[in-house]
Amino acid sequence: MAEQRMVSAGQIECGAARRRPAKRSGKQTGTRRSQKQAYLFLLPSLAILTVFVFVPLIGAFGISLTDINIYMKGGSFVGLDNFRKAFHDSRVWNATLNTCVFTLFEVPLQVFLALFLLMFMMRNRRFDKFLRSVFYLPYVCSMTAISIVWSMLLDPNSGMLPYLLSKVGIQLPNLLGSPTWAMPTVIFVSVWKSFGYTLTILSAAALGVSPSLYESAELDGAGRWQQFFYVTIPGIRDSIGFCLVTTLITALQVFDQIYVMTGGGPLYKTETLVGYIYDRGFQTAPYNLGYASSIAVYLFLLIAVVTAVTRRYSFGQDDEL
Amino acid sequence: MKKRKSQLPGDILLVLIMILVLFPLVWLYVSSFKSDIDVIKWTPHFFPSRFVTVQYAYVMKAIPVLRMLVNTVLFAGLVTVISLGVDSLAAYAFSRMRFRGRKMLFSIILLTMMVPFQVIMIPLYMEEYRMGILNTIVGLVLPRASSAYGIFMLTSFFRNIPSSLDEAARIDGMSEFGIYRTITLPLSKPAFVTLGIFHFMNNWNDLLYPMMLTSSAENRTLSAGLAILVGTHSIKYGPTLAATAISVTPLLILFFAGQKFFVEGIATSGMKE
Repeated sequence: MAEQRMVSAGQIECGAARRRPAKRSGKQTGTRRSQKQAYLFLLPSLAILTVFVFVPLIGAFGISLTDINIYMKGGSFVGLDNFRKAFHDSRVWNATLNTCVFTLFEVPLQVFLALFLLMFMMRNRRFDKFLRSVFYLPYVCSMTAISIVWSMLLDPNSGMLPYLLSKVGIQLPNLLGSPTWAMPTVIFVSVWKSFGYTLTILSAAALGVSPSLYESAELDGAGRWQQFFYVTIPGIRDSIGFCLVTTLITALQVFDQIYVMTGGGPLYKTETLVGYIYDRGFQTAPYNLGYASSIAVYLFLLIAVVTAVTRRYSFGQDDEL
Repeated sequence: MKKRKSQLPGDILLVLIMILVLFPLVWLYVSSFKSDIDVIKWTPHFFPSRFVTVQYAYVMKAIPVLRMLVNTVLFAGLVTVISLGVDSLAAYAFSRMRFRGRKMLFSIILLTMMVPFQVIMIPLYMEEYRMGILNTIVGLVLPRASSAYGIFMLTSFFRNIPSSLDEAARIDGMSEFGIYRTITLPLSKPAFVTLGIFHFMNNWNDLLYPMMLTSSAENRTLSAGLAILVGTHSIKYGPTLAATAISVTPLLILFFAGQKFFVEGIATSGMKE
């Protein structure tokens, strides 16, 4: 794919070079008209994104410099006080750690599980197609619904799973109430919900890998596993990168499942950054939106840095645009 | 034959995972027909002692479910249709046209993909309040009428469509909009179906966003309305299960009806070429 694009870009440049003598007069008007047209194509989405994303984003920075509360009272300028306070707030560091732990386990687990299962689904049998649909089902449901179901299934007093496991001799602790197990459980449920989505994208990409590559690999004597590692995985590199970046961003913003299943507890062991923002802004007096916003700004910068780094490593091809 | 044999452990694993995925979902539906006692008793049974619909009756009475269903369909449907149109225009410009600031604009749009909703939620609320569109369907749809994700995905899709076709059309004197409408759009149907289902699903399932921007029960979406029920009766498991089943079912029906488009849709064209 990349080569093809490079070739066509090269052709365009050659064409421009050949036309160089006429360029001065001709190109400028032409370019200007096509530029204007391009901006027209962009106008609707840029207008919407500006009004409803960029302006609020700048607003968030502004609010983080005030001490405005949920009743729109206060609102005096406090400079960087909120950021100074956040820097010395142990719950911010705790939430950062929890967010990182969640992300560092959830993202690789999801992508590895998807790749691992894909390895057994490469023949695209009817059964494989059926499985792809089944694995996708949890992703269709809302995180709220999934979290409610799992909380009830794991409930130590009436839950189905502690009961079933006790019958085979496993005494399940109160997973969501245990400081040790709450986070792994939340990660498990998150992976359970989303791996099917990753799998769908990856298997679609895998089916798009040219059959001739497999044929030549087979001629060279590559077995099924070798074909997977040396043909499939390199062939779907871009899609793996895409999945990594999108699941990474989602993971750093984790909120719903934790809000429903543990509420950040026990002992703040599952409190994430977004959860803490929500708590300070909307749940706990004095509902300091200014302080909550300063943590939100910090989260935003964290995500920006992480994404910039990942993008650099996983989407070599995107540098072109 | 030998190859088939080596597949067996893999198949067993796949079946185990399939059970793990299906069990909670089936449990949800079966349990939503349990009576209050059946739901909370120890020892729990998978099937109710008697199938009853009291939980559904309770939920229907407690909230205006039909009205919320209409709101949800309107909200998710309008967002999907409008954003597909708006985002594909932008994606066309990014993938096919050369203009100043292209690289920078694309990076900035990608950056908005990383803005957690929680960061802009407070300013957005204040903004909608000033514009007077709070608690209206317009106020729900407009902020979602374009998305960085949609632009990003469609741009990568369009870039994988060979440009020889539109170069030929351009030589024949076709306008950029004509190329977009008659060549790029028809070739991108699978991407549109995929992205469309994605948008519809995400907005249907969204909780915090519609909950924050609407304040009256008759303007709420299904998920937000049900969440309030769940919130106020958080101890009662039975109605919660019925409410959860109601909120999940329409999307599951849509998925079963459209899964061919979805799974096969990405499969046949998503990453090809």
